[in-house]
Amino acid sequence: MAATRAAPHACEIFTSLEYGPVPESHACALAWLDTQDRCLGHYVNGKWLKPEHRNSVPCQDPITGENLASCLQAQAKDVAAAVEAARTAFKSWSAQPGVVRGQHLTRLAKVIQKHQRLLWTLESLVTGRVVREVRDGDVQLAQQLLHYHAIQASTQEEALAGWEPMGVIGLILPPTFSFLEMMWRICPALAMGCTVVALVPPTSPTPLLLAQLAGELGSFPGILNVISGPASLGPILASQPAIQKVAFCGALEGGLRLLIQESVWDEFMRRLQERMGRLRSGQGLDGAVDMGTRGAAACDLAQRFVHEAQSQGAQVFQAGDVPPKSPFYPPTLVSNLPPASPCAQAEVPWPVVVASPFRTAKEALAVANGTPRGGSASVWSERLGQALELGYGLQMGTVWINAHNLRDPSVPTGGCKESGCSWHGGPDGLYEYLRPSRTPIQVSCLSKNMNYDTFGLAVPSTLPAGPEIGPSPAPPYGLFVGGRFQAPGARSSRPIQDSSGNLHGYVAEGGAKDIRGAVEAAHQAAPGWAGQSPGARAGLLWALAAALERRKSTLASRLERQGVELKAAEAEVELSARRLRAWGARAQAQGHTLQVSGLRGPVLRLREPLGVLAVVCPDEWPLLAFVSLLAPALACGNTVVMVPSAACPLLALEVCQDMATLFPAGLANVVTGDRDHLTRCLALHQDVQALWYFGSAQ
Amino acid sequence: MSAHNRGTDLDLSWISKIQVNHPAVLRRAEQIQARRTVKKEWQAAWLLKAVTFIDLTTLSGDDTSSNIQRLCYKAKYPIREDLLKALNMHDKGITTAAVCVYPARVCDAVRALKAAGCNIPVASVATGFPAGQTHLKTRLEEIRLAVEDGATEIDVVINRSLVLTGQWEGSDFIKTSTGKETVNATFPVAIVMLRAIRDFFWKTGNKIGFKPAGGIRSAKDSLAWLSLVKEELGDEWLKPELFRIGASTLLSDIERQIYHHVTGRYAAYHDLPMS
Repeated sequence: MAATRAAPHACEIFTSLEYGPVPESHACALAWLDTQDRCLGHYVNGKWLKPEHRNSVPCQDPITGENLASCLQAQAKDVAAAVEAARTAFKSWSAQPGVVRGQHLTRLAKVIQKHQRLLWTLESLVTGRVVREVRDGDVQLAQQLLHYHAIQASTQEEALAGWEPMGVIGLILPPTFSFLEMMWRICPALAMGCTVVALVPPTSPTPLLLAQLAGELGSFPGILNVISGPASLGPILASQPAIQKVAFCGALEGGLRLLIQESVWDEFMRRLQERMGRLRSGQGLDGAVDMGTRGAAACDLAQRFVHEAQSQGAQVFQAGDVPPKSPFYPPTLVSNLPPASPCAQAEVPWPVVVASPFRTAKEALAVANGTPRGGSASVWSERLGQALELGYGLQMGTVWINAHNLRDPSVPTGGCKESGCSWHGGPDGLYEYLRPSRTPIQVSCLSKNMNYDTFGLAVPSTLPAGPEIGPSPAPPYGLFVGGRFQAPGARSSRPIQDSSGNLHGYVAEGGAKDIRGAVEAAHQAAPGWAGQSPGARAGLLWALAAALERRKSTLASRLERQGVELKAAEAEVELSARRLRAWGARAQAQGHTLQVSGLRGPVLRLREPLGVLAVVCPDEWPLLAFVSLLAPALACGNTVVMVPSAACPLLALEVCQDMATLFPAGLANVVTGDRDHLTRCLALHQDVQALWYFGSAQ
Repeated sequence: MSAHNRGTDLDLSWISKIQVNHPAVLRRAEQIQARRTVKKEWQAAWLLKAVTFIDLTTLSGDDTSSNIQRLCYKAKYPIREDLLKALNMHDKGITTAAVCVYPARVCDAVRALKAAGCNIPVASVATGFPAGQTHLKTRLEEIRLAVEDGATEIDVVINRSLVLTGQWEGSDFIKTSTGKETVNATFPVAIVMLRAIRDFFWKTGNKIGFKPAGGIRSAKDSLAWLSLVKEELGDEWLKPELFRIGASTLLSDIERQIYHHVTGRYAAYHDLPMS
């Protein structure tokens, strides 16, 4: 007879049919930590780096608080060493044909597949996230990302012919990030031929494991380097001369806001509460659990939020099978929060959901767009038309219809407003790590003596400087705002000199108030302009081109005054007109695209104008640069506020005369004045969607 | 069986308002097995519970009184005695929920169960099983005869032509299909049905039962079904009065799993009594 094992309380389970714990062993994660003697360093150039005399920070289990390992805190020297390794690696990595890079990434994906249990166990153990999410979601998507980008790499030579990899990319990650977010950034960077130095907070060993897996592939050790260190090293990383770009990933809160139409409020709340009752919370490594924990700090944050919400009059519903002690916090539903209360504006912490009612779709849109956050949203409705309307109207990076949080490597993710301005994934995301071929490498210079508080504050006073000598008629005086020439708020002017040092003319001295007025005018014109059909936009740009040509002699003679030869001046005018036409044509060609991806259902990529763009023009090429920057912004449906060349803004003002007759008011606004001061005003204005700056190094 | 469905007036607007988010249902269905698992003694207890939900079924053309008798005996003693003893469950009266046979075999089944001293109900399929395309008169007569012979539950095949033309009937239980189709009990279908049951309960207070049938062969599957019902409807529905699993080979797989839990070894088919 066989040996039997007694199960004394099978009877109780038979009656109660409760779930039991299904713990996954974290032995393999501990074993890996043991290979490093529980003391993790940095991983640079294919080798572990453990410099001496560094502080170390403990890495703790978020549930029990026990120390799992200690991680070294890097110092500036270590950062420099990593960047140097990445720079050397870049030379060989970027020279490889795309196919070789693609194959290397595929090999990395296979290595991840072989060690996936270690990866998900380590991630779940250290961050407290549910192992099911990491195993079925993150790790699988990470492999898919690698495969997708391997294919992109292998077709890079043909598909992205005029572009080359940027160089060494610095990646700064916040204290609470997931390993998947890191992959979203690393994969396109590596695929395109860049190399990466990642600065991770010292309490997360998973990136180090990933770097080790990548390094052990053998062929290109230095392409992925990971340093663990405090966030204060961020500026040091950014100021390394070899770093071409810094990708910064912000911390995500993780709570959700629900907007529910009043007519379905009761029904929805009932179903939501019923479902919440079924959630189980527990140790991340338990396979039958829905939610883990994110540590004691996150638990406190959630608790404070809920208490505050209650004190402001909200109702709180908590449910689910949750272990009572900290750091577990039950899933919480907050409703009846008055919309003007501070909690309604703040970020919602995990695992809280704030539900608010709305009456009409228009109201929902206003509420949803009324926050500075613009990451992603989902719209649930059985009426297709309404769902699409909301989808178009929401100012969010990604909108899902009748689904939530579906991710696929070929679909770009990004955000609007404060959620960021870069895009990852998909064919668009590749451009983040590319630049046009043969452009000069920019050396970043973080000026040590830069004082942000005083930059551009002082406005130099201007005094009369001699008689104006110039062809008459002189260009109209004033700032071109809202479709007409206005006097500046400050009521003073600055002199413009020509190439022989004589006075060419006076232009208005614009200030903060003028910038404000200009931005307002631009915002007023923005909806109308964005709503114009591409053909209409193209038409306007072509009309401006024709006007420029009619004005050629005046423009050329002004350029001559600035020291440009007549022939070259005329050529500049012609080129400006040509560029306007070219961008007009592009306006018509651009449009929305429909993409098919691995997800069930189509993906619609909308190219929307940003809104109001501010452009600060360079000193050189006063006409050509002005036009070349104006045209693309307008062609894509944005309205602009421009600060023309400081050396000779008169040319821009000439163009304004034509714009006054051709363009709708507020479409393009030009403010002259002290460039630093105006730049400061524009940068500090929170309703300018983007700023293109071509001024001084400072 | 539980109290009968008291029924409500037919309100066709309920039916027209039904909307199913198909991709979302498919996504949830994919996750079911990954979402909840049970191991060790929990798994053993759940499997025993699953046994008590089984409608042990034989619907073959060559059914005779001898295989019916074997089936009924197995229904009374679904798991080997010593395995139950090891789990301390031998005195809990573990039997399957019912025995399900063709109308002509109801007599044999009743006789066999009586001989075994077992009072589990005999369920009969009826009404022109499996296609349902016979005259109303003969379908009603089938039900009458089966009940006369001693069947206390009837699996009715609905008239699909009525359904397709929008004419509805009420019932105490809904079953996923006859079990004789190519695609039978799948999770997406079940999710939609379970949610309909829940909505009906919220609207009228009547609890309707659910029976998936066809294609449930492994013990692991049965655990997934149990957890699905638990998640969607709650513990109240995890009773034989409201939940049945129509299966035949499932029982042997469950028995083998329990054997493994008790002894630590995998049994061969010949180690365990046949059904």
